[in-house]
Amino acid sequence: MVAPLFLLAPPRSYTSLINAMLGQHPQAFGLPELCLFNGKRLKDLWIRDSDEMSDESRARQGLLRAVAEIYGGEQTRATVTMANHWVAARQEHTVAEVYQELVAKIDPLMSVEKSPAYSIALDRMLAIHEAFPDARYVHLTRHPVGQCKSVMKMNDGAFALYVNSLEFFDDHAIIEPQFAWHDLNINILNFLDIIPADRKLRLRGEDVMSDPPSQLARICRWLGLRDDPEAVDEMMHPERSPFACFGPLTALFGNDPNFLRGPTFRPHKVKVPRLDEPVPWREDGKGLHPRVVELAQEFGYR
Amino acid sequence: MSNDPSPRPEPGRRPKLSPIQGDPVNKRPDLEALTPRQRALRLAVIREFKAKKVRKFVEKQVEHVNTNRQIVEGIKFLFDEHGAPPRNAPLEDIVAERRNIEYQIRWFDAVLAELRNRLARVKEIEDYAFETLEAEPLDD
Repeated sequence: MVAPLFLLAPPRSYTSLINAMLGQHPQAFGLPELCLFNGKRLKDLWIRDSDEMSDESRARQGLLRAVAEIYGGEQTRATVTMANHWVAARQEHTVAEVYQELVAKIDPLMSVEKSPAYSIALDRMLAIHEAFPDARYVHLTRHPVGQCKSVMKMNDGAFALYVNSLEFFDDHAIIEPQFAWHDLNINILNFLDIIPADRKLRLRGEDVMSDPPSQLARICRWLGLRDDPEAVDEMMHPERSPFACFGPLTALFGNDPNFLRGPTFRPHKVKVPRLDEPVPWREDGKGLHPRVVELAQEFGYR
Repeated sequence: MSNDPSPRPEPGRRPKLSPIQGDPVNKRPDLEALTPRQRALRLAVIREFKAKKVRKFVEKQVEHVNTNRQIVEGIKFLFDEHGAPPRNAPLEDIVAERRNIEYQIRWFDAVLAELRNRLARVKEIEDYAFETLEAEPLDD
């Protein structure tokens, strides 16, 4: 069975686009966000532990769309209903068993997936390693200012709040997304410390966006996949993925809505901000935390 | 992976920055490190966020309830004052407008489906409650 590829990154790090690009390779199968390793058993994805924020129904839609596409050959209300039954029949299975079943079904294509939620907790990534000891990992990074701005723009920083990325003052607290940028990347680094060097690769999302053909070809060579012009050209069309659009009404999402709305890659020059300027989401004119700057520099940002 | 010459913590043990460790908000995070005051401030931020979200949701619903009016406004540019299509309407604009309308209709359908789904669930709970009351009348 071909070992799967996982993209590890905090959200808003070009993961949707790059996942769809890699998934379009003729020897690969790009999955939507399965979020399977968010829990231990499949039914955990349907269980709420707290009422502090709304439930995670969207986190399940990627799995439903994937099952509908893989087993039903299309994503319609009927195949999503089938997917719900498929899931119900496996509710007591571990997420590892379910994921392995999907990967076996996709084989000999290489499954490619990114669920940014995996980077929230080290345990989730360790569970991936346990399920797939020979999996490969791409650690995608994005400049902290660009990533945090994007996080704050999406639903008023809902993700940062979701992972408790807060800064406290004497009389109030604010959502501070750079804590999440730092800690999620730290989780990934801590996890990748146990992965052999030949099965992990760190890439700056900005580099991929600036020159996708050569960067994608480089990833293919690392993965042992074809890197001929035909394969690279196919990867330049993420919009051709069956998951690069909204799904049927019963499973609309499974990915970033912005990506689903406009999945086509448009060549553009990526502006890389400085690390020593005030950040736009703070009203007090402060900049990045010194440890955030230090980590960004480790990733090659200046 | 890049090589960094600066000394690093032990593998797998790099320290985090956030005062709150552990799981996200919907999985009962570990708030041990927070003072009672900080816990209260955290709840205040969550409450404020939810209130803002509800306000935005309502605004959006109102916007989508007015879909017909919006569609009329949106396609007005495709016709001249006599109701005839202009000869030089750019095809890209027409396609973009068609996509926009289709998207709005789809969005509206999704909201309706979600509301119907919630209504069905609430009705089920209501029916069950009445059945239970019927079966076990309260003691006088």
